[in-house]
Amino acid sequence: MALNEEKAPQQAPTFQDIIMNLQRYWASCGCVILQPYDNEVGAGTNAPATTLRSLGPDTWRTAYVQGCRRPTDGRYGENPNRTQFYYQFQVLMKPSPDNIQDLYLGSLRAIGIDTDVHDVRFVEDDWESPTLGAWGLGWEVWIDGMEVTQFTYFQQVGGFECSPVPVEIAYGLERLTMYIQGVDSMFDIVWACGDDGVVFTYGDVYQENERQYSAYNFEAADTDFLFQEFNDREEECQRTLAAGLPLPAYDSVLKCCHAFNLLDARGVISATERMAYILRVRTLAKACCASYMEHVVGLKPAEEGEEAHRG
Amino acid sequence: MASLHTLAFEIGTEEIPAFDLDQATKQLEKLAPAALDGARIPHGAVAVYSSPRRLIVMASDVADETEALVEDYKGPSVKIAFDEEGNPTKAAVGFARGKGVDASALEVRDGYVHAVKNVPAQPVRELLPSVLESLITDISWPKSCRWGVRTEYFSRPVRWLVALLDDEVVPVEFAGLTSDRTTRGHRVLAPGEHEIDTAARLLDVVRAGFVVPSQEERERIIREGVAAAEAQTGARAELPAKTLLEVTNLCEYPTVLVGTFDEEFLQVPEEIIVDAMLMHQRYFPLYDADGKLTNHFLVVSNGDPKAASVITGGNERVVRARLSDAKFFYDEDRKRPLESYVEKLDTVVFQEQLGTVRAKTDRIVALADHIAAVAQFSDADAADAHRAAYLCKADLVTNAVIEFTSVQGVMGSYYAEASGENDQVAHAIADHYRPRFSGDEPPASAVGRAVAMADKLDTICGLFAVGQGPTGSSDPFALRRSALGILTMLLGDASLPVPLVPAVDAALSAYAAQGIDFDVDAVRAEVVDFFITRTKVMLRDEGNAADTIDAVLAVGVQEPAEFVLRVRALERVRAEEPEAFDDLATAYARANNLRDADAGMDFDEGMLCEVEHALSCAVVQAEGRVARALEADDYAAALEELASLRKPVDLFFERIMVMDEDLAVRANRMKLLNRFVSVFKDVADFGKMAKQAG
Repeated sequence: MALNEEKAPQQAPTFQDIIMNLQRYWASCGCVILQPYDNEVGAGTNAPATTLRSLGPDTWRTAYVQGCRRPTDGRYGENPNRTQFYYQFQVLMKPSPDNIQDLYLGSLRAIGIDTDVHDVRFVEDDWESPTLGAWGLGWEVWIDGMEVTQFTYFQQVGGFECSPVPVEIAYGLERLTMYIQGVDSMFDIVWACGDDGVVFTYGDVYQENERQYSAYNFEAADTDFLFQEFNDREEECQRTLAAGLPLPAYDSVLKCCHAFNLLDARGVISATERMAYILRVRTLAKACCASYMEHVVGLKPAEEGEEAHRG
Repeated sequence: MASLHTLAFEIGTEEIPAFDLDQATKQLEKLAPAALDGARIPHGAVAVYSSPRRLIVMASDVADETEALVEDYKGPSVKIAFDEEGNPTKAAVGFARGKGVDASALEVRDGYVHAVKNVPAQPVRELLPSVLESLITDISWPKSCRWGVRTEYFSRPVRWLVALLDDEVVPVEFAGLTSDRTTRGHRVLAPGEHEIDTAARLLDVVRAGFVVPSQEERERIIREGVAAAEAQTGARAELPAKTLLEVTNLCEYPTVLVGTFDEEFLQVPEEIIVDAMLMHQRYFPLYDADGKLTNHFLVVSNGDPKAASVITGGNERVVRARLSDAKFFYDEDRKRPLESYVEKLDTVVFQEQLGTVRAKTDRIVALADHIAAVAQFSDADAADAHRAAYLCKADLVTNAVIEFTSVQGVMGSYYAEASGENDQVAHAIADHYRPRFSGDEPPASAVGRAVAMADKLDTICGLFAVGQGPTGSSDPFALRRSALGILTMLLGDASLPVPLVPAVDAALSAYAAQGIDFDVDAVRAEVVDFFITRTKVMLRDEGNAADTIDAVLAVGVQEPAEFVLRVRALERVRAEEPEAFDDLATAYARANNLRDADAGMDFDEGMLCEVEHALSCAVVQAEGRVARALEADDYAAALEELASLRKPVDLFFERIMVMDEDLAVRANRMKLLNRFVSVFKDVADFGKMAKQAG
């Protein structure tokens, strides 16, 4: 606290400084700096630059900001820590570099966190996404008790063994910035600050979005349309896969996910139907991974990896 | 001129999960000496050290060479080993080959052939690499991963290896790494590589790098820090073993810091604050002299002690954010009555095939009603049990419980009070998860026990109905624990006077009514058997004799309570009159072996001699009394009655030859024995307790 109060807010990096510093830092580590994927995703992991590119033997390094949508987390802009839309900064490096933990600590220093005077901890947190048939081992990273990053060595994606192993680093940008700027509400984050002293906060940019989207997600979204969209997109995904095009097919998986999440927020999916929908999405996602392995990586379809976790 | 050396081996890693590290350290304590012994490397003491980023094995007094060895294996006798011409037979050749010597080299001693092998001394330096490599791969992890382009597995990536025999590097290879003489220090306090000149200095270099390489020592430092903080604040810390171990293995250089949060948060129920601090943040809460939570807490930091104020401040901000969430949730949740959350339980899956928690709630209510009726609750208590059952799961969909899962039940009781429910209902909601573990207290009130039993029995019956009962070591729904909980409530000092089997029937019929498809009779039998088996285990754990348990079980008891009472009563009389019961059991076994079940029981009184007559009178009298005692649930009295048969039956076997030559007499005696045996049939199979013949 002392540290944050010593630094007046205007001296702390802005939200966009932090993003740009992370981009510059990871660019210097050889990453392709992508722009956010132009489709609704629930997490940076779900963007094809991570999900699909984790597969296969080729070296891949990327870093990108990703807006993430979690409709059920909407709080009409009234909760200081929870929103239905937020940003992640996603890094994926395959194969994982030997000095990746040091690279990560370097990225914290690059955004103004002096790791020497903080308690940075790697606390066990394994990751599993049943919808993607994916899992990995890693940590959540704590700075003075605050979780700011997920750090994962992917072992399997879409039911396929990852070889070589990619490492994923996902920063919660709002939380990290709140910490750096010393503010208690994400809407108070300073996004930009002009030389003339004109400041734009996160609230200036997004509070109205939160109000409107929360109302849409919980109250206004047309459920018949969304059920239809889910079915249509499922069909479109299968049709696209039949044409041997896993990349566009994967877009339909993301559309299905988002339609499902909205239906969930509207409260029209019963607990028992839930499992069935998740299973349908998983089937599509895994089919896209299998198709990617076949058409992009060049693996025969029969060589699907085993699904069981290694004990 | 053998000299002795120190061996130092360090596996340097990225942060190993706390509990896995604890397990791995314990494994290495066995694996390391075993690996050295396996390679016949002479060594002194072996010690294992660890921190989140390293596992260290130190061995003292390691010799240069293994001992040369003469191995002498005794083979077949000379007769078998050589044919008439004195040539080795197939047997001898095979034996020699098996031992790796030539048949011509077999030696003859004391009428047998021997294979003698000279194993020369081997240089330890040559053996060590593969011994140490095997240590890396022999540790078993609950979960392990690959990294980079490697195919090897370890808990987390291995980043360096140190292997020294005194000042010499032992070349060990794993996952593309080759051992060297550089370790790494604490990430912040002594970053980077540190060179070790000789094995005996490894721990010194590690310590100089601000790493405390021992779990026990870190724990001691933490306990000292906690004691100092307690002295400073005048408060007392609670250190649950699990969290303490986790915290100990989450740092290499621990410092205990005292944090503070705003007193206004103390309005939030203590349980949430404690959950937020212990479960989510691994902070230790501090309590005042009256056991009340204070607004101080302890953080175990791995950072630079000089940065304590910054680190404390950061942690305080995290607590503030968490507690304002908790307070927000708590306040929001109380804006609606607890009852209003019940309907929302249809969004929570209880079990995929068994539907939602909403449906479970209805079943718990019905089962609690059944229990209240059978146990003859007063109208008020029956109403409370009904109400508590209806509300017991409602808090699962409140914000506070979604966020802080360990406070389920407790929050329900707070919300129940806030919604104007009476105390008994509120307490029953909090208590219905009890007993949570073996030895935990059951719910305080009969109403609480009724709801707890209904909830647990519903879970057990449902999972058995869909074939998800426990198997072997797998019991994902902790049904064994639930069964034990029910048994505790049926048997304890303040037990529920409720027979289990009709309650099982009620639970299963509720599932059938819900449309779950299963074979009711088969599942009922499985569930009853499950409870009987759990009861058996419990009785064994109590120290009851296995043959007593089997004797009671053999007469087909289905009610755990009855089972337990009978075993305890039988054990008691066996302990009080050991000889009488041994004799009785022996006589019973003898009668049971001799008798001819087809002969019937209608003996002819007129044909009995005096000794037989005495037995018959005793049997007829005992028959009536045993039946009445069992009717009155007085098992001990029934046993006393059986004991009264001991003298007449002993006398009978002493004086009477059952296998009389007169077939009519013999048949009559058979009938009398049948009648004797039948007196026991509803009490226990005394044959199980008879000493083995001989």
